[in-house]
Amino acid sequence: MTSGTTHAVATAQDTIAFAEGLPGFETHREFVLMTSPALEPFACLRGLGPDAPSFLAIDPRRIVADYRCQLSEANQARLRASSGAPLVWLALVRPGDAGASVNLRAPVVINPETMRGLQVVDADDSYPLDLPIAGA
Amino acid sequence: MLVFTRKRDDAIVIGDGIEVRVVRIGRDSVRLGITAPAHIAVHRREVYDAICRANRAAASDPTVLDRLAARLRGAVLPGPSRS
Repeated sequence: MTSGTTHAVATAQDTIAFAEGLPGFETHREFVLMTSPALEPFACLRGLGPDAPSFLAIDPRRIVADYRCQLSEANQARLRASSGAPLVWLALVRPGDAGASVNLRAPVVINPETMRGLQVVDADDSYPLDLPIAGA
Repeated sequence: MLVFTRKRDDAIVIGDGIEVRVVRIGRDSVRLGITAPAHIAVHRREVYDAICRANRAAASDPTVLDRLAARLRGAVLPGPSRS
């Protein structure tokens, strides 16, 4: 093991398993969540492997303060989430020419205990798929 | 595509443990009840497709994300005080 690398290297421990991939990217099932001061308060959900997609993502409560999304029992089971266990919620950001939009309708949820993730597809439609946010 | 004629309360079985049952028949719509094992995801096609499109549009080159984050930093709320 060398210690000369300047970039953090994802280890198997950091890999989040998305058993069904993400809609549109069903064959990409392993992601890592990268944070850095340059990304803050956003994070990068980065797919592993060739041609895997990367996404800018953010806690949906940084967009809508009282954001609430109910996780179905089936999705809790997929994440192996015990009730009350803390989960990581992320809204994917869609870059645009001026600003961007944020997908609050279908958040990505990660269980850091089991390192399993999924994208909520069955939420009700009370939040938009593409809420515009202003760019600086 | 397999095509079946079914009456109300009739069902079809797909593979091991998936059942689709006609619950109600209206003039322009039918209500279906689907029973499937927990690991089988069941989605409305148009909702799934809309999320596919949103995800494809959101997929980004990881090397530009720092710049994008810097541009959008002012558009988000302060961090929640609750954990």
